[in-house]
Formats: sequence, structure tokens, C-alpha cells
Amino acid sequence: MLAINPFAALSASIPPAVMQAFVVVMIVLVAVGTLFDIVHKGSARYFFDNWRRARGKAPRLGAGKLASIAVQTAVVDVLGSGEFCNARRRVAHLLTMYGFVAHVIATVVLVFNPSASTLWPQLWWIGGLMVLAGGYWFWFFIRVDVAAEGNSPLRVTRADLFILSLLASVTLGLLWAWLQSWVLFGLYVLATAVLFGSVPWSKFAHMFFKPAAAFEKRISYANGTRSNLPAPVDKPEQFGRIPKHARHY
Amino acid sequence: MPTFVYMTRCDGCGHCVDICPSDIMHIDKTYRRAYNIEPNMCWECYSCVKACPQNAIDARGYADFAPLGHSVRTLREEAKGTISWRLKFRDGREKNFVSPIRTTAWGSIKAPSEYDAPRPEDFARQELAHEPDMLKTNKPLPALRPEQLKRGLA
Amino acid sequence: MGLFGGRKTVLVDADILVIGAGMAGCGATYESRYWGRELKIVTVEKANIERSGAVAQGLYAINCYMGMQWNENQPEDHVRYARNDLMGLVREDLGYDIARHVDSTVHKFEEWGLPIMRDPKTGRYQREGKWQIMIHGESYKPIVAEAARKSADKVYNRIMVTHLLMDATKPNRVAGAVGFNVRTGDFHVFRAKAVIVSAGGASHIFKPRAVGEGMGRTWYAPWSSASAYALPIEVGAKMTQMENRIVLTRFKDGYGPVGAYFLHLKTYTQNGYGEEYESKWYDHTKQLVGNYVDRHPVPTCLRNHAFLQEVAAGRGPIRMVTKEAFQDPHKETVGWENFLGMTIGQAVVWASQNIDPKHINPELTTSEPYVMGSHATCSGAWASGPEDYAPAEYQWGYNRMMTVEGLFGAGDTIGGTAHKFSSGSFTEGRIAGKAAVKYVMEKGRATPQVSEKEYRDLERTIYQPLENFRIGRNEIVAGTVSPSYLLPIHGLQRLEKIMDEYVGGISTNYMTNGKLLERGLELLNMLKEDMDHMGAEDLHQLQRTWELHHRLLASLSVTHHTMFREETRWPGYYYRGDHLKLDDENWHCFTLSRYDRASGAFAMEKAPVYHIID
Repeated sequence: MLAINPFAALSASIPPAVMQAFVVVMIVLVAVGTLFDIVHKGSARYFFDNWRRARGKAPRLGAGKLASIAVQTAVVDVLGSGEFCNARRRVAHLLTMYGFVAHVIATVVLVFNPSASTLWPQLWWIGGLMVLAGGYWFWFFIRVDVAAEGNSPLRVTRADLFILSLLASVTLGLLWAWLQSWVLFGLYVLATAVLFGSVPWSKFAHMFFKPAAAFEKRISYANGTRSNLPAPVDKPEQFGRIPKHARHY
Repeated sequence: MPTFVYMTRCDGCGHCVDICPSDIMHIDKTYRRAYNIEPNMCWECYSCVKACPQNAIDARGYADFAPLGHSVRTLREEAKGTISWRLKFRDGREKNFVSPIRTTAWGSIKAPSEYDAPRPEDFARQELAHEPDMLKTNKPLPALRPEQLKRGLA
Repeated sequence: MGLFGGRKTVLVDADILVIGAGMAGCGATYESRYWGRELKIVTVEKANIERSGAVAQGLYAINCYMGMQWNENQPEDHVRYARNDLMGLVREDLGYDIARHVDSTVHKFEEWGLPIMRDPKTGRYQREGKWQIMIHGESYKPIVAEAARKSADKVYNRIMVTHLLMDATKPNRVAGAVGFNVRTGDFHVFRAKAVIVSAGGASHIFKPRAVGEGMGRTWYAPWSSASAYALPIEVGAKMTQMENRIVLTRFKDGYGPVGAYFLHLKTYTQNGYGEEYESKWYDHTKQLVGNYVDRHPVPTCLRNHAFLQEVAAGRGPIRMVTKEAFQDPHKETVGWENFLGMTIGQAVVWASQNIDPKHINPELTTSEPYVMGSHATCSGAWASGPEDYAPAEYQWGYNRMMTVEGLFGAGDTIGGTAHKFSSGSFTEGRIAGKAAVKYVMEKGRATPQVSEKEYRDLERTIYQPLENFRIGRNEIVAGTVSPSYLLPIHGLQRLEKIMDEYVGGISTNYMTNGKLLERGLELLNMLKEDMDHMGAEDLHQLQRTWELHHRLLASLSVTHHTMFREETRWPGYYYRGDHLKLDDENWHCFTLSRYDRASGAFAMEKAPVYHIID
């Protein structure tokens, strides 16, 4: 099952062109949704105004330095989800992020190339399972409104739109590919449309904002402004740390 | 100066929710990031500011009496045993301070049960734990005699 | 919350239950373990022990340290100092007891890792004043919390204790407490052989000077919601000196501390025209209080009184002259770090208004009144004194036990023990801890009986505001205005306005009289009735509701006490317009009250003061 392209059998009932068009629409929805969100909220304007104001007060960094910071941002913060200070949260995010990337790329390949090599269905499954592992772990245990605020894991707010539609889409997709039910396929398509269509209202676009923010943060440390924070003191780390308890209540 | 949380820095870890003595740092329902739900119950104690691993929390003086344009930020470095402050006045003047916060390792306090247990006769005495030694006077615990207290006026 | 939002009941049995894990509670927890190695010690805290209580942001000085090791002070000197400052009325037996132990507390703090400044010339602790030493105390509370966490069997964070439980079979014997988990909503029932109340005193019972966001910048922590008083009052423990509220002269708006400025930086005050003013009011003050004005140092309330008179005469604002002292870089650093280690908000105010004390003499103000037990004031529960010397009238059992069997107190909770501050509160916690252990091993060996009916009834009462909101919400479209329930903030603002206008708040320049107090009681009782109609949207609002309950009960006590004492003992703290003088002949005594929860009545009486022979 893991080596079979689940979309190949569909082409008997649904023309490949239709499936491919759907995939293209989803990608366009992400781009349009993100752009709309940025314009509507003015977040890009805020970001660049802030950048300009901060640059006015700080020494300019050379092109080489900027490039190296960009690389650090890409490698540590983006590829390594390095901004997470907590190991558990970082691992869950890495699982979900790489799972999503693998699963999406595999989906595109499988829809556009029904006879792709068996690597791609395997990647589709593995990516999907990674999303489920990281995603459900996050949903039930790691979500801060559950872990720190004591809310029930079944409580749903607008902040959950992204993770819920993501989990729904991948869960239904894998279930459909396993059980081959039309109902499941229909729900899978619906969930996927919600996931990509709700970009202006969900946290989906954080995958674009966060790298920009991480880059800006690194710049501010590199040019000495450090967001008005004091500089670390030049003293040895000799006292250890207060042990952090998993639950504070 | 109630606290506020920077959107681009908060990653929703919940340390501020855990620490706030006033129970006013909570999680926004749209962004799943922290914010101050009740600034009029904020003492500006900076517990959340110090607890945030991303330095995502800052404070803006109470609107009742603090004009805009100031900044008081801190970096508490537990492992180094220090706290640093960077103050910026509205007119741009800056002041910096560094203080020690601890002289021993975190977690190093000796638990009371690790000391020798008190003797039965110690219970009836007035000395508390580690006394009279920890008074460092080389004298017994001071005491009054009942006749030293006299009923006052009325 | 459980998966489907259900509420659990958590039953906890303990030998000693410590309610409130601030300085006093941490001291009680530590000492209880030292003496009760095999006992089960449970500590409950409304917030997080790591930063809870008045010392959340740190302290820059320890204001109660004798320095006996260097013959700097003796305990009886401290008693005389506190007696003078409180115009003659302190529990000298309790005060001496704290003063004789506090040095060992401070030495342990240093051993644990609290950085205490040293005088470079003498090697001794750097004195700020006669009783005060200077510390780098940003992490004072985390350090003390570490000691407590290593002592308790369990520390429960985020549990608000709303009521004490009494023994179902023995009258006037405490049996434990109930409360709710602010995060999960679970109902907690604690059963204990001894209970030590070490909760917070009362901020936010009088209308504060700032009423917007600035409401948060109270002098005393806004989370000190008078639980120290309400919990014992409700079960009939006698309270003392509840009328003895404190007003503080502090830096304007930020309420930043002035102690280090006066004592270490040697700054002084001037009126708006740059004149010394305190001495101008000597004769006037002598008319009110007689020879008390000649005491040295001048009692805190009398210094306030001169301040108020000068401002009322139209010669404000009063300023602290700092320009001279701040020219010295060391003193300038001390002046700023004093705030950063203790009241960060003041540094923010000055940064926001471009106030550099090197160039500007900053304004001072008098605060709204607070009721607490550990500063230049001593409201609280009436407690049994130390066995070795307390007068018979002050001793009915174990040290720091209230008039309810098995119920102990420390810190703000205990009345009559002024000027103990952080170190003294921790020390009083230690005293109560040892006494509670002795009680559990001797008189209180039997496990108290708790009635399930009683705690189930309390459970309904505790969670009722959530129901009131949920159901009542159906009546209106949206918003905060409902004809059938009040939000906690509504109740709080009403309480603060009543206390302000009738019981001597800032809007009357701390003036009240019998007529005003009677009217105040009428309004407070109406608010008490309205408390059945509080609406809490969520657990945070439920916490605010119960904080209001506690504040209201404490305020009723304050009002009754203020009515009972027919004199003006502490001008500068408050004034009885119908009895404007100090009256030693009739009122050189403590006021005691006992609340009867069935009838809602307060029974008042006087208690004698015992002084150490000078």
C-alpha cells in the first residue's frame, strides 16, 4: 500500500487535469491568501517601517554579514526550528514541518506524475505519518492553552484553525488511501480546501512570517540594538538553572 | 507599566502564564500567543518579562501617568547569577545597571530534613532551627522574663 | 480541565497545611519540616510559589535585622522602635519574639545565596538605617521558594483557598480548607491537623489614586487580596487593630520606595517652594497627639500628617531633594537599583517623564490606605504569644495560634507585630511552623472530622458565580451590563468607592467619623448581599470573585474597628473627625473583634497593652 500512488486509481473516475487543477488552485490560494493577509493587516508595512526605524539608529551591517545572518536564519531557525527553546516543542514542530513539506511535495508529484517512482508514495505516507505524530502530540499535550492554561484538549478556538484543518486533511487523506472510500475522499478534499482556503484567517502564513522575524531578530543582535535589551554580562555560567517543572499547577 | 508581548518574538511556550503572580498573562485565542489580559491588575513586577526565554515581553508605563517613548528592559541571566537593566528615557538618555542575584548554585539549598533531627528536649525550648548557632552571637537566645512586661495605660 | 470539561474533587490529607506561600508561608514550610520530619506538610499557593506574594519583583533591603552579632541592636530596642512608630500600640511580646530570631533567618538567607551588601570598611552587612540592611534581592523570592519546595511534601500552585473548614464534631477547632484550582477548575478539599494561614494582606480595598491601567500600580501587591484576614474572620478568629490602616509617603505615581533615599542617600523633603516644612507643624501635631510627637524617630503617621497639612495649605507638591545626593555616582546607582530591585514601575515612570534625580527633585505623594500586618502597621489576627514570657492574657496555647484551636498565622495574618517586613514575616512563619508541629504532636494528634455536607455546600457556593454568569448571560445581548449579575471588577470598584468616601480614603483626605462609618456599613452590607449575584465568566474571573469576597469581609472588619476606636491615634493614617485627638486615657488598648458568620455581626472589645519596662 505504501508503494502505490493513491491518486493513480482515481484517474479512472476523475480526470487527471481536474486533480492537477485542484492542486494548482490550492497553491494559488496560499499565495493569494498570504498576500491578502499581509495587505489587509498592513503587517508588511509594519515590518518594513519598523526595520527602517531600527536601521536609522544602528550601525549598518555589511553585505557579507547580512548574507551570513541570512544563512544562519535559514539553517538554524527555518530548517532547524531553532527558535524553540523547549526540546519537546522543537521536536514536535520539526516532525510536523518536515512531514508537511514531504507530504505536500509528494502529493504534487503523485498528482502530476501518476507513474512516479515508488519513492514518492512512500514519502507521501511517511510525511503524512510524521504530520500526524507531531500534530496530535501538539494538539493533545503541547498546546500552551492546554499545557499552561489547563483548558480541555477538546476546546477549539480560532487559533486552532490551521492545526485542525491540517490534521483533518492528512488524517482523512491517509485514511482514504488505506480504506479507499469515496466518502473519505470527499471529506479529504473538503478538509484540504479548508486548510488552504483559510490562510487569511489561520496561522498558516506563519511559515512565511516567522523566518522574516527570525532574520530581523538576528540582525538586531548583530547590529547592537538588540531590541533595547541589555547586553549579556561577561561572567561565567557557574550557578546552573532553576529546574523547570513540566507542570506548574 | 503594564506588560505587553511582541508578536514576532512570542512562540507560545507558556512560561509567563505559569509565573504571573496576578494570573493575568494568558493565551490569545487567535494567535495562540501570550498577552496581558488585565493591565489594571499588573504590578509591573516583571516576573513574566524575566521568565520569557525569548525576551518577548516588554512593559509600557501605565497610560494614566506615563508618556510614551520610554523603555525599561531587562536580561536576567540565571546561570551567571546576574540581572542587567537597560533604561531609555523618553528624551533618549540611557542608563544601564547590572546586579548580582544569587551567590550560590540554583538548587543547592540544603533541605531542612538533611540536618540532624532535633532532640526531643529541643521542642519545648524557644530556639528555632539552627539556633542559637545561626544567631552568630555565641550567646544563648535572648529572652524576656514575664515580670519585664507591665500592663500599659488603660 | 478534564477531556470533557468535568470537575474533579481532590481530597488531600495533611498534618500541617500552610495557606499562602509568600515569605511567611515559606518560613512556615521550612521550619515545619525541620521539626516534623515524619509529618505530611502541604503548602497551597494561589499563584506560583516561585514569584508569589509581595516580594515578587524582589527587595533592595531587609528592613528587620538586629545585627546582634555585632552588638548593633538588641530585640527590645526593636520593640521600642515599633511601639513608638505605632503610637504605643503593638504586641510587644510577639514583636520581641520575632526580633530575637530574625538574625538567624537573615544569616540563613545569606547562606542560601541571597547577596547581602557589605560595608567595605567594617565588613559587616551594609546598613541602610538602624534596622535595615541592603541586599541585591531581585531573586529573594525564588531563593526562599527553593527552600520551601525542598521542605514540603507537596506545594500546590494555582489553588485559591476560599474557606477554612471547621471540625464537624469539636467546636472552634479548624479542620482544613477548601479551594479551587485556577487552571483546571478542580475542587480541592484539604484536611489538616494544623493550619497556618500565611496569605496576603489587603490592597485594593480603598480607591487607589490611579484608576485606569494605573490601578495596577498599588504600593502593596495587587494580589494581596486580604485572604490573610478573611479566612480567619469567617471562622470566628478574633482580629485586632483592623482600623490601623497604613498610608505611605512614596514617589508619585510609581509609589517607589523612599527608605534608601532618606536613610542611605540622606535626602530630605521640601514643599513646592523649596522650604522645609515638617517642623512648622510641630505645635499643631502636639495638639493632636501630645508627647508622642517628641518621639525619635518621628512616627511614620505623624510625618504623613505634616505632609498632608502642608499640601492642604496649598504649598505642594512635596519633593524629595535628590539633586545633591545624586551627584555622587555610587549614590546615583543605589537610587536607581533601589527601584529596579524592588519597584521597577518607579524607574519606568521616571524614564517616561524624563525625570533624572540628578537634575530634578522628584515629587512625593501619600498613597491610598492599605491594611496589612508586616510594615509600619499591624492589623491582623489576635494570636497567642511566646510561652517563656508572654503575659497570661496573651497566652492561651501555642505560639501564634489564633483564638481558633489549631489555627496558626504568620506574616500579614498576625496583628500587633509591626515592622517585621520580609525577614520578620519569614521568621514569624518559622515560629508558627515549630508551634504547629508541637501542636500536631501533642494536643492536635487526632485527625479532625470534616463534614462532607459542609464541603459540598461550600463547593456549590464557590462555583456559583460561574453558573450565575452562564445562565444570566442569556438575558442580555452582549457587554458588561447585566441587571442580574455583577462582574468582579464592578464589585471591586464599588467596594473601593465606599471605603474611600466613608472610611477615610484619599477623597476625604483620610477623614471619617461615626456618621460616615454608619453609612459606609449600610452600603457595604448591601454589597455583601449583592455578592450572591457575582458572575464569573471563567476561572480567572472566579479567582477575582473570591478575592473580592475576601476583600469585602476584611473591609467590614476594618469599618467596624474604625467605628469602635473613638479617637485619632494615627493622624496621617486616618482621622476621626468626631474624636480628633489621641486619647490614651480611654484608648491605650487594642481593639478586638469577633465575627459571627450566622448573624453577620461583629462583637467588639478592648484588650490591654503590655509594655516592656523601659
